[in-house]
Amino acid sequence: MLMSLLVIILAAHSTMAQQQRYTVSGYVKDKQNGESLVGISIGKPGTAVGTVTNQYGFYSLTLPAGEHELQFSFMGYAPFKTTVNLNTNKTLDVKLESSSSQLNEVTISGQKQERSVNTLNTSINRLDIAQMKKMPTFMGEVDVLRSIQTLPGVTTVGEGAAGFNVRGGNSDENLILLDEAPVYNSTHMLGFFSVFNPDAVKSLNLIKGGFPAEYGGRASSVLDIRMKDGNNQQFNVNGGIGNIFSRLSVEGPLVKDKSSFIVAARRSYIDVLMKPFVKGDMKDTKLNFYDLTAKANYKFNQNNTLFLSGYFGRDVFGIGKDVNMNWGNSTATIRWNHVFTNRLFLNLTTYYSKYDYSLNFSNGNKKQADEELQGYKWTSNIINYGLKPSFTYYINSGSSLHFGVQGIYYTFKPGTGTGTEGEKERVKVLTDKHALESAVYLDHEWKPTKKFGIQYGGRLSAYQLIGKGTAYYYNDTTPGIRKRLTGTETFDANKLIKGYYYFEPRLSARYALNDHHAVKVAYSRTTQFMHQLSNTASPTPLDIWTPSTNNIKPMVADQYTAGYFYNAPNDSYEFSAEVFYKKTDNQLDYIDNANLQLNQYIEADLLPSEGRAYGLELYAKKDIGKTTGWISYTLSRTERKTPGISLDEWFVNRYDRTHNVNLVLTHTFTKRTSLSANWVYASGTPGTYADNRMEFQDWDIPYNSTEKRNNYRLPAFHRLDLSFTLKGKQLKRWKGEWVFSLYNVYGRRNAYSIYFKQNEDDPNKREAVRLSIIGSIIPGITYNFKF
Amino acid sequence: MKKLPIILLAAFAGLTACEDKIDLDIAPGKSFPVLDAWITNEAGLQKIRFTMSVPYTDNNPAPIINDAKITLYDETAGKSYPFAFKDNMYSYDASAAPIGIQGHAYKLHVEYKGEIFEASDTIKRVPAIDSISYKFKTDEESISGKEGYYATMHAKDIEGGPVDYYWIRSYRNDTLRRLEDNFSIDGSYDEGVSDGATFILPLAEGITNYEKPFQKNEKIIVKLFSITHRSHDFLTQVQAQVDAGGLFAKVLENVKTNVKNTTPSGKIKILGWFGASSVSRRERTVK
Repeated sequence: MLMSLLVIILAAHSTMAQQQRYTVSGYVKDKQNGESLVGISIGKPGTAVGTVTNQYGFYSLTLPAGEHELQFSFMGYAPFKTTVNLNTNKTLDVKLESSSSQLNEVTISGQKQERSVNTLNTSINRLDIAQMKKMPTFMGEVDVLRSIQTLPGVTTVGEGAAGFNVRGGNSDENLILLDEAPVYNSTHMLGFFSVFNPDAVKSLNLIKGGFPAEYGGRASSVLDIRMKDGNNQQFNVNGGIGNIFSRLSVEGPLVKDKSSFIVAARRSYIDVLMKPFVKGDMKDTKLNFYDLTAKANYKFNQNNTLFLSGYFGRDVFGIGKDVNMNWGNSTATIRWNHVFTNRLFLNLTTYYSKYDYSLNFSNGNKKQADEELQGYKWTSNIINYGLKPSFTYYINSGSSLHFGVQGIYYTFKPGTGTGTEGEKERVKVLTDKHALESAVYLDHEWKPTKKFGIQYGGRLSAYQLIGKGTAYYYNDTTPGIRKRLTGTETFDANKLIKGYYYFEPRLSARYALNDHHAVKVAYSRTTQFMHQLSNTASPTPLDIWTPSTNNIKPMVADQYTAGYFYNAPNDSYEFSAEVFYKKTDNQLDYIDNANLQLNQYIEADLLPSEGRAYGLELYAKKDIGKTTGWISYTLSRTERKTPGISLDEWFVNRYDRTHNVNLVLTHTFTKRTSLSANWVYASGTPGTYADNRMEFQDWDIPYNSTEKRNNYRLPAFHRLDLSFTLKGKQLKRWKGEWVFSLYNVYGRRNAYSIYFKQNEDDPNKREAVRLSIIGSIIPGITYNFKF
Repeated sequence: MKKLPIILLAAFAGLTACEDKIDLDIAPGKSFPVLDAWITNEAGLQKIRFTMSVPYTDNNPAPIINDAKITLYDETAGKSYPFAFKDNMYSYDASAAPIGIQGHAYKLHVEYKGEIFEASDTIKRVPAIDSISYKFKTDEESISGKEGYYATMHAKDIEGGPVDYYWIRSYRNDTLRRLEDNFSIDGSYDEGVSDGATFILPLAEGITNYEKPFQKNEKIIVKLFSITHRSHDFLTQVQAQVDAGGLFAKVLENVKTNVKNTTPSGKIKILGWFGASSVSRRERTVK
């Protein structure tokens, strides 16, 4: 079906091509460091004819034969004008010169660039690292995930919580890609810092709706993080010393203009600093994380470039010598950019991604000679291999096709428990699971007139749970109660256990009222085959991912979006208003007292629910002048209905926030000093409160007689952060800056959760307790340097 | 369920956290009768409490229900034991001979407001607690920073046979008030990894309140209860609800009941649990 559509589109366009046409194509890069530039506009001044560079900095523009004036422009770069005489297909690589002296980095003069009023897609937010660096930080550290939480439609269940929620979706519904490899746990220290080293990140795109057909596999969002290529002109060292961790990165050319690399590392050192102060059982306490991000590229010739990138990160936590926990991601990506003809571009990505954790305790290090060795270990992992060739065919100016296939092979080791006593070792292994996720997609981006544009297409997704494995069959009687096992069946390697097949239509359309106003609509269907099982207030690093099975149906989401976009005449500010409605099926919920860990029969404890979310998002942004920043406001609701829970009625999700305001402002005083502020306000998250207590065996057990879940709301959340940057005097090559930050300036104790307990000193007193993860003002100092 | 990892993570996250008592305006809920019945193989008075649930932050003791008729049936031996109401509870004096016998099935029969309620449980096997040891730690040496004696219980799971489920409860000086509770499967947290093993460290060392370790001349008392799989599920759910703090707390959910209303078209719902256990007890005074 997709192929026939392709043929029709191509046929339609070839009949339109009356006049002789030629193509100019090439890469656009930054002159100073050789980084490819994404989203650069290339156009004929005064006309609607134009295109933009893709994720890899490539562009292709087909024009009638003859002389054409072309302008390349992008915010923060001096526009580049040239005239091409198209009497044959031409290659034109362009290097743009950054207009940034130190000052201009923050006060950028207005230049035409990729404004959201001009693009086809709705619901996409792009941040580049320069913008993230301007925002106030937690303990002085630039953080990718914290910065996206300032965007409209993005919320979190609370401070320090892992993950984020997009348009009322659960935190496992975000596809987080680091150079196209999925990352399963995006935070260090349980949620305080994200795993992405800002020194190695170039930019990010957050797609909340109107998904291009190229993306699939998660229901709510795609966070597409791109790593820097590395400076191919000269060596640079970047680093930072902060009170929690330090960063260091090195980048430079391997072969000037052809090949470059970047290696970036971070290590936290609370435990090292703590060491002199702890004694006894705490002496060997470990509390640290580290990560290493590396990338290299080699340009073989005009048509072939190869990229290698990888990430390895780990969190380590141990109490004394007895207990040791660690968890982390590793990813590796190989990418090949190939230009077949100057109208057909290929990006071929293969990747490997792994998330694993291990929990271990043993008396091995402190046992007396006469004591037996005793230990207990528990491990789990998820590994996947992906292959994704994606093609872009540039039909003519304003018309291009994106198509490709995708295959992902997953293996899951849900859990292995090992008990050791003396010489004896007993092992409990949960059956491995294997799955294959594949897709073929096509969409056509077509801008027939300056006013109207459309991107339409679809994605055929296939999901197969395959052997070697075991299928479990349960009888489904009363919802909300553990299902009873009725049988099991084992399958040989590669035998199909259960398959699911979907067609996911995708559509985005834009109509420009004039140069400054545009309206856009979008519809997309997304499916999700991987689910993170978590029934605690925030996901823990130990919450396993599990694939869809004969019992767990894939999640399906349909989202409708409409938006209005405005761009002020001199580009001084932009504004957007979007509404969305999302309907989901088969989001997972859990029976009461579900056992999600090391449980072979986990599926007996899961419940499918129906979900709905809707909202309004307002966003205004100012990029020019001494004061820049943005304000976002989201009004939304997210609910679900699960048979067997909350009297089978609709209830609001744990991550529902009615109002959410984010204000990010930066003011530049002088060339060397600037002040940033960030203020967040969010309605309290819902919580279930106890209206009764039962006295039982000396316990006071909280009880909710209404049986309605999330029947109350926590107090509202708000917080102000400030940061002040002082740049050092420029010495030859050395650039240094101090960043002083204050997090939670007015020391508010925002409620993370409210729970009920007996007073510790007097068990006959019962109280409701507010837990604040951050209960005071937190200062931070970081010194960043570059040479 | 698997409490340990969550405790560790919570400790990790707790570095900057703080807790405050707050006042909440919660609509008064419906009050239910609550059965608190746990019989054992111990000699002496066997007690059952029957109360009404009250608003959570109401600091008055729960109102006592005094007009129920409660009888325990040993279904294996075909015996019955009436529990009489006296001193705010229902009790049976088992000083002469224990009513709990390992391997026997028990049914509790309750008559209340003209309706009949029943609940069942079985007494499983329990190993002996071999010994209790303790170690003095200064505030610098202790994980919690509290000076005192930290105790360890030494016991071994019974090897072979069915999976064993246990409830470990410790006390300070007397058994009037609980100190710490831990739950175990075969001496660890999972079946299949520890049959016949020594109780693993977090369980063995979990009998001390780390915020208030034992002091000189205090008596450490530990009871090890055998429990059924169903009781284990119930008690671990109770514990998750009672310890509901922290970044990774379970959200509030209502604990289950095994008390069934057997009256045709019966209207009253009773909360609570009937459990039955063999108990091993050990105590040691800190010298």
